[in-house]
Amino acid sequence: MKTMKIKIALFVLAALIFTSCKKKDDTDNTPVTGKIAISFEHFINDQPAVVNDYSYTNAAGNVYSFFLVRYFISDVELYKSDGTTLKIDDWTDHFYVDTDIPHTLLWNVYDEISSGYFDSLSFRFGFSDAKNQSFMFVNQPESNMVWPEELGGGYHYLQLEGKWIDPNGIKIGYAFHLGRGQHYDGSGNPIPPFIDNSFRVSLPNSAFSVKAGETTNIVLRMNIENWFEEPHIYDHNQWGGDIMQQQPAMLLAKENGWNVFSFHLNNN
Amino acid sequence: MNTKTLRPEIGLVLVFLLLFSACKKKEEDDIETHNPTPYTLEIPHGFPTNVNIPEDNPLTVEGIKLGRYLFYDERMSGKADQGMGMSCSTCHQQAYAFDNPAGQGTGTTGLKTKNTVLPHINLAWNPGTFGWNGSVASIEEDVLLVIPDPTEFASTWPDVIAAISAEPMYPPMFEAAFGSKEITPERIAKAIAQFMRTMVSQDSKFDRVLRSEDNFTESERRGLVLFTTEEGADCFHCHGAPGNPLMTTHLFYNNAKDTIFDTSSDRYSVTNNPRDIGAYKATTLRNIELTGPYMHDGRFQTLDEVINFYSEGLLYSEYAHQLMHKVYPPYGQGAMLNPQEKADLKAFLLTLTDTVFVNNPDLSNPFQK
Ligand code: HEC
Ligand code: HEC
Repeated sequence: MKTMKIKIALFVLAALIFTSCKKKDDTDNTPVTGKIAISFEHFINDQPAVVNDYSYTNAAGNVYSFFLVRYFISDVELYKSDGTTLKIDDWTDHFYVDTDIPHTLLWNVYDEISSGYFDSLSFRFGFSDAKNQSFMFVNQPESNMVWPEELGGGYHYLQLEGKWIDPNGIKIGYAFHLGRGQHYDGSGNPIPPFIDNSFRVSLPNSAFSVKAGETTNIVLRMNIENWFEEPHIYDHNQWGGDIMQQQPAMLLAKENGWNVFSFHLNNN
Repeated sequence: MNTKTLRPEIGLVLVFLLLFSACKKKEEDDIETHNPTPYTLEIPHGFPTNVNIPEDNPLTVEGIKLGRYLFYDERMSGKADQGMGMSCSTCHQQAYAFDNPAGQGTGTTGLKTKNTVLPHINLAWNPGTFGWNGSVASIEEDVLLVIPDPTEFASTWPDVIAAISAEPMYPPMFEAAFGSKEITPERIAKAIAQFMRTMVSQDSKFDRVLRSEDNFTESERRGLVLFTTEEGADCFHCHGAPGNPLMTTHLFYNNAKDTIFDTSSDRYSVTNNPRDIGAYKATTLRNIELTGPYMHDGRFQTLDEVINFYSEGLLYSEYAHQLMHKVYPPYGQGAMLNPQEKADLKAFLLTLTDTVFVNNPDLSNPFQK
């Protein structure tokens, strides 16, 4: 019947209206990938770090407080149980964390992650020399992390700040800043090449799984006291408030950094 | 054709029309067309690409023009008829990068502002923390606050609107900028804010060197090195660097000037966070030669005094920001600069003066043509 046919045509068109605004779907709707989201936590002695609290004592015996930490991680690699390695690099290959800016404490990773089991992950703390290019960040807060050209350029990998109480009972600020290091000539002028102080952090106990169509929540926890403890005991009284031009101190930080992070799964 | 066959056809046409319109975003009722000319803020070399322009107040040529007139118009105090005419430009003067050499501002009734006047330099990049303590969220909000403030216009909005409405030039300008002749506090605030977002300073010697159009002198270069190194004067952590060319982090610090603190207008008065006691915004050092007296209370008259302070005048308190680590031994009371180093640091600071900005005709008083 004619009217019947028209009715069907109308129905089809109406159905079209309801679907036409949707984004084009993949032909096969079953996803084979999931997502990961990385939360960043900052702990001291197994408790969330409390700001402006002088109840902490480091391995050298310095009583200290914590005010803030800012840092970059880059080149995250996920190691799949089948032996393949996934690099996080689709939208960005790095992330900026700042305890004063809440939204920087969660990285919703853009990459589609193929579902399955992962044995572990690793990342670079800071930027490799090849990636640590001056002027690559024009926007704040990242550009506030600029590392002076004179000292090698690029960006701070780390700004960890607080105060410690010196032997005279004075509260002295520490700016535990890590970035490119320098050699100096006899009259105190830096001589290139500068030193890459970034390092890879491998988290052996970091198994997780990614389910198709779901987001796995991973926690990277910085255990702040570890910056000062292993293998080198770091004494604020020895190194003072600022270390950007003290490569021996930055080397200790670099070498202590290996176990500063721990991996956790977030089940909510 | 009979009606029976016609109707389904009409139905089909309608359905097709629906198909084509259903996906369009809902458009604002643009029936009465109001199309002000969009104005594109150019991002200077090396500047942040993120600008803080509210979605409901895009820059337009007509809005900026109106804002410029209002910024310079003494009728804005709503008290010109009482001999108390005052404009934003009374306190914020272009020759001083929109700061004021008097230090504090003096309002229509003779009362002085609590703190010194702040310049208007690259405020389009301010993340939403205006004022010495960051308590004001936008330029628009600042305008709304100036009118009743007893130390500024000490006026009322009805008086201001009446004074502005009485000037025949304005209703058509409001219409051009906002689509109707109506004059409201919000529209005044929006127009002034648009104008102020065009106050871009990007042509100092410092900028020209970064654009490879000029070179620093040896002294200026040594000054930059002092500015950006911890073992030097270490200013850059708070006041920027070539890679952070706004020359401010837009953050708040206690820069170790005092041992006791008036917490009535500091950052602590906004956040209640003890870390912010005695903390103020590390203002941009662009045009710093022109914006004295210095600090929120104007305690230093000259740049030499400021440099001497950072060199040997720091005071210890437990509230001094952790980056002021030179308060302590082995540095003594600051960076301990020798006379040559002080001269070098000053030479660098002077490269931040932008004479093109303070003479920019687009930012000047439109009533003095
Ligand atoms: C009586 C002098 C005076 C007048 C008139 C005045 N201001 Fe100000 N302005 C100040 C002072 C003082 C400050 C610093 C306030 C503070 O934070 O303590 C300031 C700060 C500002 C700031 C913040 C700048 C920054 O860097 O954070 C803006 C924006 C501003 N004024 C806009 C205006 C506008 C727009 C007008 C006109 C409607 C105006 N002012 C009129 C004295 C004045
Ligand atoms: C810890 C952060 C910090 C460091 C480091 C620092 N400043 Fe400041 N500076 C500030 C703050 C905060 C203010 C505003 C303080 C106030 O108004 O009370 C300021 C104000 C100034 C002013 C006056 C600005 C004005 O508009 O009145 C000048 C000039 C200045 N600093 C130069 C320097 C120089 C030069 C150095 C390096 C020797 C330096 N600063 C290091 C935080 C810092």
